[in-house]
Amino acid sequence: MTARPDAGLPRLLLVECPGLEVPDGASGASGASGDERLRRFGRVVEALSSVCPWVDAVRPGVCTLPIKGPTRYFGTEEAVLAQVAETVAAALDASLVGAASGAAGPTRGVPGAASGAASGAAGPTRGAAGEAGAAGPTRGPTRGVPGEAGEVRLGVAEGVFAAALAARAGSVVPAGGTVEFLAPWPVGVLGDPELSDVLVRLGLSTLGRFAAVPAADVLARFGASGARGHRVARGLESELPGYRVAGMGARLVAVLGRALALQDRQPGFWGGASAADERAGEVLTALQRRLGVEAVTVPVLEGGRGPADRCRLVPWSPAAASREPRTARRKVPPDPPWPGRLPPPAPARVTAGEHPVEVTDAAGAPVGVTARGLLTGEPVRLSVAGGPWTPATAWSAPWPVEERWWSRARRRVARLQVLTVDGTAWLLVTERGRWRVEAVYD
Amino acid sequence: MFATSRIGALAQRVRPTAASRTRLLPALPPIAALLPDGGLRRGTVVRCTGSGASSLAMAVAAGPSAAGSWCGTVGLDELGVLAAAGYGLDLERLVVVRAAPAEWAVATGVLLDGVDLVVLAPPRHVKHAAAQALAARVRDRGAVVLVVEDRPVFPAELELAVEAARWYGLAEGAGRLQSRRVTVVACGRGSAVRPVRQELWLPAATGKVAAA
Repeated sequence: MTARPDAGLPRLLLVECPGLEVPDGASGASGASGDERLRRFGRVVEALSSVCPWVDAVRPGVCTLPIKGPTRYFGTEEAVLAQVAETVAAALDASLVGAASGAAGPTRGVPGAASGAASGAAGPTRGAAGEAGAAGPTRGPTRGVPGEAGEVRLGVAEGVFAAALAARAGSVVPAGGTVEFLAPWPVGVLGDPELSDVLVRLGLSTLGRFAAVPAADVLARFGASGARGHRVARGLESELPGYRVAGMGARLVAVLGRALALQDRQPGFWGGASAADERAGEVLTALQRRLGVEAVTVPVLEGGRGPADRCRLVPWSPAAASREPRTARRKVPPDPPWPGRLPPPAPARVTAGEHPVEVTDAAGAPVGVTARGLLTGEPVRLSVAGGPWTPATAWSAPWPVEERWWSRARRRVARLQVLTVDGTAWLLVTERGRWRVEAVYD
Repeated sequence: MFATSRIGALAQRVRPTAASRTRLLPALPPIAALLPDGGLRRGTVVRCTGSGASSLAMAVAAGPSAAGSWCGTVGLDELGVLAAAGYGLDLERLVVVRAAPAEWAVATGVLLDGVDLVVLAPPRHVKHAAAQALAARVRDRGAVVLVVEDRPVFPAELELAVEAARWYGLAEGAGRLQSRRVTVVACGRGSAVRPVRQELWLPAATGKVAAA
């Protein structure tokens, strides 16, 4: 699979407010201080919504906003950063005043433990930082805001994970530079000690070295979670699982007691369509190695009259998937003139293999279709593959079709819909006096 | 650009999502009425049963598929792809896995790493332990499995049963199959313990699912 750096990941400005994170489970049991921190974070998010309506509260103490839109509005990225820094400072001051005037006191002195994706890592390794400098991904430190438990940190990069590291490093990573920016960071920032231990032992100590390993090998060796870290390292996926805290929007609304104009995204949303496609593609390739190429199929719709002619399942192929025409092929084709085509709705089950059917009239004589396309009798019962006789309650007129009339292999067939007393709706087809089941309207 | 009215409008749009209690995959409106959360809770198994269960599974899968999720099927080698497209599945993101019956667990387990939703028609005589193991994997992956089965073997959070089904449009020697009216009963655990009934067209004459 070809690497597509920064496949559509949005460039984000990430705001991290040390001291406002709420450890897991703290909001319920330990009560007021957790809620108070969350309320102050909610005020920050609320204030930032005036800079940009697309604020994404990722987890307590951390939110992002896309930088592109506000830059158009404020003129330069510098101006956006200045505006954001000012807004956050004002919101924190206001919320401190609010906390002081309210009864709840004990929110001061909250330890500003390092939060987030990059647990355990304060920054890229020294030597690697040199590399990063040479690659020129940073543009000088961003403005900090004096906060209660340390400076509020801002960073800009593509995707949440990279933006969090950028905030830690105080960097504005230029557009398209995220993969280079990520490369020197130690694999420990992926927050999976087991994975990073193995990677370090294999000599893959940085995100850049890890990113250079082929995706299929990573999936085979480290499974789906390793593959996810790998995609993050390659700048293909926005964030690691477990970083985002679900339901932040609802929690902030609950502590603030008012609605917020902010996004509450599903985890993985920022990965976008291309990352989901890539993830599916990798797994389908792995599945083909396990079960055989023919076992993993995707549908292709084509012209034709019967349900089996109109749809074909072809083996999945990553190469075919990445080429454009797939889109055209797999859309339902506009109805071309296929005389004798079955009207919708289509049957839910198109039977594979031969299922011969006997169809008889009230006297027990076999029912057929005449050359003029009429039934020779009323089909009052049928027996599928030698099974029990089932009375028919309704049936259609036959749809006679002469298929492949242009070739010597032409066939005259007729289709018939039959409803049996058990409520099953059948699509039968007859050819040379023999009936078989073509589909079931299951 | 950031007029208050616009932010207010956005808040209106965002609020239903923000209020959601869990991570949900979306459902089409007629199906949402059957689901306790109005969507498919990630990490759960949902059983579809009764005559028309495969159609029902497609209609349920259509919601996530239309919203961009990849969907896979295992054991549905005879899937009517035209019908699936009619119910609203995006064929661009549909994969049909034709595994040997003995390989259903491997196929489903691996597939869960790459897709949000799997429709599984298990072979007969699935071992209890294998069904439990799959359910654990579904929880772990945060995906959803719709299992099409008549005997309850898999530990499902929710069961959607087609109880009554009747086709319309076909007479004795005339007409054609046009639509099927079904009663679906949803029954589950916890907040969904009280059964919910919904009359549906499965499919309506358009080929889609609709409330009757």
